[in-house]
Amino acid sequence: MPTVNPRNVDSIDLSHHLSTEARDRLPNPMKDVWRMVQGANKPDIANMANGDPHHSLYPFRKMSFEVPAVNQADPVSSWRNGSSDTQFFHSYKDQPSALSLRNAFQYTHGAGLPECQKALSDLTQFFHSPPNHAVTLTLGNSDGITKVFRMLGERGDHFLTDEFSFPGMTNAPLSYGIKWLGIKMDKGGIIPGEIERVLQHWDPRRGRRPHVLYIVPVGQNPTGTTLSLQRRKEIYAIARRWDLIIIEDDPYYFLQYDLPPVTASAEKGEFSEKFAQSLIPSLLSMDVDGRVLRIDSFSKILAPGMRLGWISSNHLFHHKLVTYTDSGPQHPHAFGQVFVTEMLGKNGWQMDGFCRWIQSLRVDYQRRRDFLLEAFRREVEPTGYASINVPEAGMFVWVTVNFDRHPRYRSRSNRGGSSVSPRTNTELLLHDLFKKFMDFDVVLMPSAIFAMEEDPLSVVSPHHIPIRDRINSFRGTFAGTEETIEKGMIRLGRALREFFEEAADTSHLEHKIMAHL
Amino acid sequence: MVYFATSAENSKTSYKVDLSHHLSRETRARQPNPIKTIWKIAQTKVGTINMGNGDPHNTLYPISKIDFVVPSLDQPNPVQAWKEGNSKTDIISSYKDESCALSLKTAFAYGTGAGLQQVRGVLADLNNRIHSPPNHTVSLSLGNADSLTKCFRLFGDPGDSFLCEEFTFSPMTNAALPLGIKWEPIKMDKGGLIPADMDKILTNWDERTQGRRPHVLYTVPCSQNPTGSTLPFERRKSIYEIARKWDIIILEDDPYYFLQYGLNVDQFIVEQHGFTRALASVLPRSFLSMDYDGRVVRLDSFSKIVAPGMRLGWVTANNFFAEKLDSLTDSSSQHPHGFGQAFIAELLGDGGWGLDGFMKWTKSLCDEYQRRRDLFMDVFRREVGINGFATAEVPKSGMFVWIKINLEHHARYRVVKESNGDPRTNTAALMDELFRTLLDSGLVLIPASTFAITGSLSPPSGDCILDRVNYFRATFVGTDETICDGLKIFGRTIEQFFCF
Repeated sequence: MPTVNPRNVDSIDLSHHLSTEARDRLPNPMKDVWRMVQGANKPDIANMANGDPHHSLYPFRKMSFEVPAVNQADPVSSWRNGSSDTQFFHSYKDQPSALSLRNAFQYTHGAGLPECQKALSDLTQFFHSPPNHAVTLTLGNSDGITKVFRMLGERGDHFLTDEFSFPGMTNAPLSYGIKWLGIKMDKGGIIPGEIERVLQHWDPRRGRRPHVLYIVPVGQNPTGTTLSLQRRKEIYAIARRWDLIIIEDDPYYFLQYDLPPVTASAEKGEFSEKFAQSLIPSLLSMDVDGRVLRIDSFSKILAPGMRLGWISSNHLFHHKLVTYTDSGPQHPHAFGQVFVTEMLGKNGWQMDGFCRWIQSLRVDYQRRRDFLLEAFRREVEPTGYASINVPEAGMFVWVTVNFDRHPRYRSRSNRGGSSVSPRTNTELLLHDLFKKFMDFDVVLMPSAIFAMEEDPLSVVSPHHIPIRDRINSFRGTFAGTEETIEKGMIRLGRALREFFEEAADTSHLEHKIMAHL
Repeated sequence: MVYFATSAENSKTSYKVDLSHHLSRETRARQPNPIKTIWKIAQTKVGTINMGNGDPHNTLYPISKIDFVVPSLDQPNPVQAWKEGNSKTDIISSYKDESCALSLKTAFAYGTGAGLQQVRGVLADLNNRIHSPPNHTVSLSLGNADSLTKCFRLFGDPGDSFLCEEFTFSPMTNAALPLGIKWEPIKMDKGGLIPADMDKILTNWDERTQGRRPHVLYTVPCSQNPTGSTLPFERRKSIYEIARKWDIIILEDDPYYFLQYGLNVDQFIVEQHGFTRALASVLPRSFLSMDYDGRVVRLDSFSKIVAPGMRLGWVTANNFFAEKLDSLTDSSSQHPHGFGQAFIAELLGDGGWGLDGFMKWTKSLCDEYQRRRDLFMDVFRREVGINGFATAEVPKSGMFVWIKINLEHHARYRVVKESNGDPRTNTAALMDELFRTLLDSGLVLIPASTFAITGSLSPPSGDCILDRVNYFRATFVGTDETICDGLKIFGRTIEQFFCF
């Protein structure tokens, strides 16, 4: 099967990271039969063993996808305003194609169809030059990440992640007994020293020392931070010192902002090369040990309904993921593999065209980001009640609210109670503000939803501020239209004013709040 | 802090029977996704601006149209014509910005685990016309392997024993093993699994030594894989009664359901009520159709009737189980892909074949597979059966022929006297030799041992399944040439095997 490096042997042995489930999983019993068939080396063998419908019975002969032509300066803008030229990707059952319907629609290997796997291996090689990795197709990042959780996680394990993290993913392994430890963040994202501190102070009576780190290094969800090159190197060094596996969840990788745009060039291949060089190096690109599992997806750069992505990993993990896929959802659907293979193929956009689309997309998102920031400055900032970050990548903004200016804000000193129980009523105010936003017909995600539950055993510093005192933020997005962004910011400003300037006739509530603290 | 109560907390099953105790520990511990909860709330109030979810806007999806060139059904035998390249074609299309059965705007957005209503609705309609399920919900799946393995996680805890047919599709039963689930095989005969044996296993079960009594049955009732048998109606009724008696969940894995043979479709009904109704009146009664308790989870797939690469199917279950399944989907593979949902919505919609047209295609497909089955059986009788070394029943549905090898006539067949649970004969060794010999001669069939389930009960009177693996699973899905050539090789090789 195609890999990004011809060597199929891993640099170091990481099999001790596998869960019992992953170790116990047997390969497909029919595989032994197929292996013997291949060993018999009879090209004309009469195959009466397969229960696969013959391709002559597939009820389609051709599929055509109408897509934007990317031969213009700003393809995304043209596409959005309807002025774009279009082109077609075609795939045929019985005529030559980059990936024919005949091949695409049969049962196949868990890793994906060879043509598509090669196309994505080439793409990965182009952007990351991974030292020694293999590509496994997925049904998107949720699918990829949850498979990896099952592959690595044992009941009772503790996994590490950002202290504010995406619950869509972090909730998944809770039901099978995996716990999370949230690592402190600052404006630059996860703090490497904090990862090391947790590992150094780990008490073995709590169970196995954490061996998995899950991060979203570009346009982190929800805080919008992007890890600098320096931090990535530090994190990788820590992973080597403490034998961690890193799950690099990177769906926003191509949406990095404030980079000098690559101008369209006549030289074939130059555009895509310059584009690739402008992006920050991934953890995969520095993964000499094979301890990084990079999770890529088309959801944010093509469409969520693609349900197609891929994992780059060492060969052991690749084989385990393939076996798991064969024992479950099976390889991804033919349609998506056909689309992507044609898109990257010689009759499609090819790599240059794909990069033009991506760059145009990120310029579009950057415009919207700036539009939102401008609207925020105009409608919200003057109130003095909230501030906003400037995300370097991704789709999210992190709006921080100054609850301490609220008449109902309460705070007490640490009376020697648990190191993680809150000393302020931030959570209550956050909840009430969320409801106020709803009254004003605008929705933002309250940070409480993203806050990882703290474990007092992980707290060492006497100056630790519990996370529930620091959930004074909301996650917003600029993925909508300019109209909704504008309206949303206006409503946000109004809601904040009303919330902060509400009458202080709430004395009966105050007693209740004090009793809770 | 709870922001809004979820529908999961508010839903009540409207069944007489409470089946919640069948759920695994993991399923019970699963929490709803708070992001999706808020997303749902944001949908309810019109005019709300949702800046909470980071979903790419549909104006940025780079696909404005998909054309699918499909066979026209405007002929009596569409599959035949299609195979021979004589068929007319139709083009069905999905659009982003023009009206169609399922807009690409919707198909390519994030959705919930169950899949889009446009597709679920059409499949619920198909279900209703064929099975009239008493009170069930349809969720989309990524095919039967996906939904079946999700059911293992939904219902199975480590140490559980599940029931299955003694010869079964082992890639699937293997998938349950690393989850700590064991299999207890039920004996079969020409009609499929034997209900009396299922009852016997459950009656004799000793929870002190064997763990929790089995509470799940996995069955492939039509074109059972590998034996090719189809459960007759009487057996299905008996099995359902046993399931009620012992409180068993039935996983009805039915990808070959629409490939039935010898069906006489009444033309009068076709004209009066459409093809689907006419087909429904001659198709076997499914477990779903008799499921008044809500204990059946039925798995349907497009793999065998459209193409395996569709990776699309549908699960029919009671509302309570359906919600739990969707929750697991939301925590893992997510909803099915937009392409497949768009294709099915168009194909089964008014602008495409419609449901009746789709049933006409599948009936035409049946006729084609029946032709191949008949060819297989004819050549088999002529080239193989004539010597008496091998026999085969004629399958009533699906793709498989279960060929019995009469090893007791072989000169080197041995029986030993001991009966301590180990095999008493050298059946397995002889079959292995025959398999390799066939391979050398240029034919591949799958030996029964690949599908045999050994189970935990110490076999009475030395009954060991390895003494009964004297079968091959053959398929007739290849070309006519493959069938004829393959069976000729089979006939020659088996004669040599027995005589020399």
